[in-house]
Amino acid sequence: MTETTNNTVLQVRNYSLDYLTAGGVFHALKNIDLQVGAGEILGLVGESGSGKTSMAWSIMRYLPSNAREAGGDIRLRGEDLTAKSPAEVNRIRGKRISMVFQDPGTSLNPTLSLGTQLTETLRRHRGLTARQAWSEGEAMLDRVGLKNPAEMMKRMPHEASGGEKQRVVIATAFACNPECIIFDEPTTALDVITSRQILDLFLDLQAETGVASLYISHDLALLSRTAKRVAVIRHGEIVEEGTVDDIFNAPQHDYTRQLIAAAPRPSDRRTQTRPSYRDQPLMKVENVSVHYGRKPFLSALTGRSFERFAGNRAVSLSVQPGEILGIVGESGSGKSTLAKAMTGLNPFEGQMTFAGRTIAGLADMDRAYRKNVQMIFQHPDASLNPRQKIREILARPLKLYGEDENGTMAQRIGDMLEQVRLPRTHADRYPHQLSGGEKQRVAIARAFASRPKLVICDEITSALDVSVQASIIELLLELHREHSTAFLFITHDLNLIRQIAHRIAVMYRGDLLEVVPAEDITSPERADYTRRLLAAVPTPAGAAPTERDF
Amino acid sequence: MIELLKRLLRTPQGAVGLILVVIVFIVVVFGPWLAPRDPEAMSILARYKGPSANFLLGTDQYGRDILSRLLIGARSTVTMAVFATLAGTFAGAFIGTVSAFLGGRADEFIMRTIDAIMAIPNLLFALLIVNLLGSSSINALVAVAVAFAPGMARITRSVALAVRKQDYVSAAIARGESSRYIILREMLPNVVAPIVVEATIRVSFAVMLFATLSFLGLGAQPPATEWGLMVSEARQYMHLSAGILIWPSLAIAIVAIGFNLLGDGLRDALNPRTGG
Repeated sequence: MTETTNNTVLQVRNYSLDYLTAGGVFHALKNIDLQVGAGEILGLVGESGSGKTSMAWSIMRYLPSNAREAGGDIRLRGEDLTAKSPAEVNRIRGKRISMVFQDPGTSLNPTLSLGTQLTETLRRHRGLTARQAWSEGEAMLDRVGLKNPAEMMKRMPHEASGGEKQRVVIATAFACNPECIIFDEPTTALDVITSRQILDLFLDLQAETGVASLYISHDLALLSRTAKRVAVIRHGEIVEEGTVDDIFNAPQHDYTRQLIAAAPRPSDRRTQTRPSYRDQPLMKVENVSVHYGRKPFLSALTGRSFERFAGNRAVSLSVQPGEILGIVGESGSGKSTLAKAMTGLNPFEGQMTFAGRTIAGLADMDRAYRKNVQMIFQHPDASLNPRQKIREILARPLKLYGEDENGTMAQRIGDMLEQVRLPRTHADRYPHQLSGGEKQRVAIARAFASRPKLVICDEITSALDVSVQASIIELLLELHREHSTAFLFITHDLNLIRQIAHRIAVMYRGDLLEVVPAEDITSPERADYTRRLLAAVPTPAGAAPTERDF
Repeated sequence: MIELLKRLLRTPQGAVGLILVVIVFIVVVFGPWLAPRDPEAMSILARYKGPSANFLLGTDQYGRDILSRLLIGARSTVTMAVFATLAGTFAGAFIGTVSAFLGGRADEFIMRTIDAIMAIPNLLFALLIVNLLGSSSINALVAVAVAFAPGMARITRSVALAVRKQDYVSAAIARGESSRYIILREMLPNVVAPIVVEATIRVSFAVMLFATLSFLGLGAQPPATEWGLMVSEARQYMHLSAGILIWPSLAIAIVAIGFNLLGDGLRDALNPRTGG
């Protein structure tokens, strides 16, 4: 641990921040102490609502009008930023402190070219002329590893990929050689392989410039790879701070232990069941293709050729009874498209066979099929109707499939809630009165109401915090053991799927590359893309060395 | 509900609009009891009188008390406007939601038909319907409702399209729910907020549209106390007493302004992004 020396660039001392809300004062940050030295990367890890983004905005001196600073100071090389006037802050922002945001899609202005946005900082803070700034900008884009920087400068944000845009944002942040840069989850919105490249770029630039970096993330595994020191924040308080090794190998605080335990580790298998591969498959998907887009109304008249976009190309796979089949792939790889085709939300070409019955199209999906194939969606906020009480939401499948079971409706709804570890009284609440994890439990209860044979889970944990995610997975595995339900588990989290799936299917741009047993996923015989995907995933510290080196 | 009222009263336009609309509704409900005189009692001696202790707002061309006529006329004028708007809103909201739910060719067909209807101005369209059905208050109501439905359908569809993409609708489809259930129970409750705002603003259009129809002699028939009709009749005598024309015009204006402001206020109050 560095002592307070001249080396300290950013120092936050005893800092507190409150928000005045309609419901009273909310303490967002309480007595925060942080310091980042030159050339150091401090990781700030916390779950949603822990105050990590509030911290970033406090340092950037960009607070909403209902924020009140309750005490403490934030010092940049000894100068107190909280005492600066807005004009002084404007001169510091972008020049001495800069920030990289989570989503490059929204942090760049869609109406200005990438070059314009990059050179704006240079002209403003370094007083360059337009011509100088432009050539300087090209040099910067070259430095962040963009091919053909001259052409990239002229492009508009929508003409660049997510990774390219994030590189431009990073170039902007480094443009004026700032003393300190705040990274607010810079890779969360990107695909696995792209985010790995961005991370490598960050580490290179960081080492090269020696800038003090505050790296905010919810992902412990990722921080263990980037930061030297990590601070764990919870409910606006730093509960623990220390070097990466200390935090991961000898965590002091219960919450840190809980966070580390909750991070999925491929080496630690959580499924004990073994499905039989000799039986007839429960669900067989043969050559299923899905195309998006409709021929425009008047295209025949205008004579414009029209090409449909393929979401899935001739995908074939099968799910055994009681099997957990994982599907992994980047965004746009067609994972969700396949799930939608299987639940009758997308028209498809090809054929499916469910429990011996042939399903050739949407018309074949009758009530019995729908009863046996249920789907759980990614965002519990979106999958529960905000205008219906939990009671009504859970009553629908019971009414629809008319399970003959004894007990009144109210009793059975109560039982369903208890099965997913929620109090019976939650039946009278509206979805917005529940937390994200509770909402996802309700969605799970709804899917299991009809005792389905196959449940399709579409990224059901990716919108949840790590610790909540672990408990949801626990619940699913319990239901899996109890009812021997088969799962089709769609995710982009390779660490997680290696823990729970029996077999893993890898998808890439609409094609199914391969289906392999979970324990063989690391074998060198795997497809090239699978190996790249695996290599890009940060495995949490503390995992077996062989895992980490892969 | 209480929360919504609080937020509504926090904006000036919401507060003023709400007060005006409440006053209008008090007049609608209690008008006949508040009216000091018989609205149809004529008096040859007291024609074209200005405001006085006896006749607070003066008298019209037959010596009838204008205040009493206004108070009683509120019932037909405002109630008609509200009902016509409600009818048009429900029809439009339903068509819009169905169209968004069905999507594809059906959506295309419904929306192009609506575009064609919307190309005809509201008033012209209402006139056409009243001419076909004959002039009476009920037919005027139908005409206004029909004239409003396409606009409401368009607005509802744009909101419903966003709702259609929500996972709870996908979940309902995947569960095998009937289209009826999905449209009525899953989609409609979630498109209500913008529709309420739009409907409130449209009440003021309806009041003016009714007044116009009556003014043209196609809505309420004399000796009804409908405000638009009062303005229309007063036109010939305005050089004898301006009050006959001014008071009913002012009443129409107040209702229109009240509902308009209330609509603006509701738009802000129902939008979670504005206000705390």
